[in-house]
Amino acid sequence: MSPLLAVEDLSVSFVRSGLLDRLINPFPLPGFNVVDGVTLSLMPAETLGLVGESGSGKTTLARTILGLIRAAAGRIVFEGRDVQTPADFRAMRRRSAMMFQDPVASLSPRLRVGTLLTEPQVIQGLPMPDRRAAAKALLALVGLPASFVDRFPHELSGGQARRVGVARALAMKPHLLLADEPTAGLDVSVQGDVLNLIGELKRELGFAAMIVTHNLAMIRHVSDRLAIMYLGRLVETGPTQEVFSAPLHPYTATLIRSEPIPDPRRRSHKPAVTGEIPSVFRRPSGCEFHTRCPLVQSRCKTEAPAYRPMGAGRMVRCHFPLQTGGQEREAVSRASANQRGN
Amino acid sequence: MSGPLAASGLSVRYETPHGSVHALRHVDIEAHPGEVIGIVGESGCGKSTLVTALANLLPANARIDGSIRYNGVDLAKLDAHRQRLLRGDEIALVGQDPMTAFNPVLTIGDQLVDFQHHRKDLSRAQKRARIAAMLGRVGIADAERRMRSYPHELSGGMRQRVAIAAALLTDPGLLIADEPTTALDVTMEAQIIHLLRELRRDYNGIVIVVSHHLGVIAELCDRVYVMYAGEVVEGGEVDAIFHDPRHPYTQALLACDPARFRERLDRLPTIPGALPSLTQPPVGCVYAPRCGRGFAPCKTVAPPLVKLTACHAARCHAVTS
Ligand SMILES: Nc1ncnc2c1ncn2[C@@H]1O[C@H](COP(=O)(O)OP(=O)(O)OP(=O)(O)O)[C@@H](O)[C@H]1O
Ligand SMILES: Nc1ncnc2c1ncn2[C@@H]1O[C@H](COP(=O)(O)OP(=O)(O)O)[C@@H](O)[C@H]1O
Ligand code: SF4
Ligand code: SF4
Ligand SMILES: [Mg+2]
Ligand SMILES: [Mg+2]
Repeated sequence: MSPLLAVEDLSVSFVRSGLLDRLINPFPLPGFNVVDGVTLSLMPAETLGLVGESGSGKTTLARTILGLIRAAAGRIVFEGRDVQTPADFRAMRRRSAMMFQDPVASLSPRLRVGTLLTEPQVIQGLPMPDRRAAAKALLALVGLPASFVDRFPHELSGGQARRVGVARALAMKPHLLLADEPTAGLDVSVQGDVLNLIGELKRELGFAAMIVTHNLAMIRHVSDRLAIMYLGRLVETGPTQEVFSAPLHPYTATLIRSEPIPDPRRRSHKPAVTGEIPSVFRRPSGCEFHTRCPLVQSRCKTEAPAYRPMGAGRMVRCHFPLQTGGQEREAVSRASANQRGN
Repeated sequence: MSGPLAASGLSVRYETPHGSVHALRHVDIEAHPGEVIGIVGESGCGKSTLVTALANLLPANARIDGSIRYNGVDLAKLDAHRQRLLRGDEIALVGQDPMTAFNPVLTIGDQLVDFQHHRKDLSRAQKRARIAAMLGRVGIADAERRMRSYPHELSGGMRQRVAIAAALLTDPGLLIADEPTTALDVTMEAQIIHLLRELRRDYNGIVIVVSHHLGVIAELCDRVYVMYAGEVVEGGEVDAIFHDPRHPYTQALLACDPARFRERLDRLPTIPGALPSLTQPPVGCVYAPRCGRGFAPCKTVAPPLVKLTACHAARCHAVTS
């Protein structure tokens, strides 16, 4: 089977700029690579989780894939065809959908839900004899009452706004859904609702999804594969269950161990990592994780590790991946794992 | 002058053009020096209303009933001046977004000097020395340089550390942190949890941590109050709340947390239904419209607070001691 989407060596650079600059210049001049040499692929109907700390470039990567930001280098192949010109991107966007990070802000405040839901089809010039009926059908699809067609976005709760976002994204029967933090700011019970909804619709409609998130506890249950990003580069990819049970990259291990466990009998004794993510404008030499890596060695500071296959569909960017090296490294990783008590 | 804190029969209404919002109803809580208390519940259940009432910072449209006693004094009976003094140096509140706590045009150092305005006994140089020591204690290296920085020059995690340092500089008897890690990445969250845990070694006051994140509560707290729709529905020692929850809402909330499951779930557990309106709260049990265990009296009779052990209690008809 050939991938639905393949991204090869994709880079995006931004000039270092103030907020104002960013607002007036959505396609900034070449400068620092915020996304650097990203290669990944997505099979039809697959769910990929893209995970990393704030500022690691997740949103930028997702927006670049859809052509909302211009790439500095690299290649995007969608359904077997190269996507290069603005017309190619428009054609791709007709077959894909994006759920943005802030759902209420991304819905125009002055339009009613009914209009918002059918707007994309109208813009695409698709025939729609009865807009209200079409909107009501979409609301039913995401489990909201038909009466919501007349509501304004600010009259929705956080969970309801996400549902409208899902309905709007799926109105075009996309082959690809890019969802940026689809559950940020939602309570756990509502988060489950939104993700179950996406899961059900995926099974029914068969689209592929890329879910961008910080939330490891959630992505573990909804993705088939994971891609971990640090400072604009992928540091590890692999099947979700394997990555969680045996992470290869020390950064992945750190993220997993940082997640607080909802059990007072299993308190962590020490943070898994200290310090914070460096700025992309001051990318560390060698391996960029070396400034925070609990297992750093002298080679890491000067020599950048290659992104290499490790078998079983896994890739890692580290000189000394976990779970592989001799006893010494096993001992180190066990010692750091033991920092979490019984 | 740290001492015990107790709220009893505490209710808060917000008067709005669309009617009154009953944000808090008959809440009883207590806390003792040296304890870390957790307040957990979903968004809109009244957590922030509760702690702003405790810190005496409710907005003007709020109407409060019941009593809050701190160190033997009824806060409602203090005059405005004494209330303000108490707020300034006995009770400190750290919010979710530390950026809003700082003035963007003043350096961190200048603001932290101002936070100590009640310490008339100290010179400016002494105050700056205290700040440097306190910044070191909350894990900020290079304190001298940081004091010359402006708030926007710090990352979110660092601003939260500074906010905690600022709160501690007033030597409060009661430190309240409302969603202290919600705006942070998981790695920074773990560091702030660790910091708060370290601080309690030499801080003898009360710490109240508010969070909707069960993991944060489990990591940090000694005792926990679970809130739903403006009420405390269950309270107890952290181990009892997580391992022997008795209120159906507490049980459902815990069951929903995907962090509890290591194996992949095809469907995430949820709580069917929605929060009741706080303008017209249900007459019986607030959780009745969503409760799977509800029976005859639940919809019409408000359940009493049932005491299970010395410090474990739940507000539910189905719970018996
Ligand atoms: N238009 C722009 N011009 C310059 N820099 C930018 C621009 N947009 C984003 N950046 C920078 O690029 C980096 C990656 O940002 P991005 O929004 O992709 O991160 P993210 O991983 O989605 O973060 P979060 O988890 O906070 O949403 C950050 O350092 C950010 O400040
Ligand atoms: N100033 C206010 N005026 C009117 N209603 C308010 C005000 N502040 C909060 N509320 C309402 O009170 C309820 C409880 O809010 P809050 O205490 O902020 O909950 P939490 O912190 O648990 O999310 C919510 O329904 C909220 O909309
Ligand atoms: S290359 Fe070295 S510094 Fe980088 S992640 Fe691997 S062990 Fe750590
Ligand atoms: S009082 Fe009744 S409805 Fe309320 S939580 Fe208990 S069993 Fe459920
Ligand atoms: Mg983002
Ligand atoms: Mg709140």
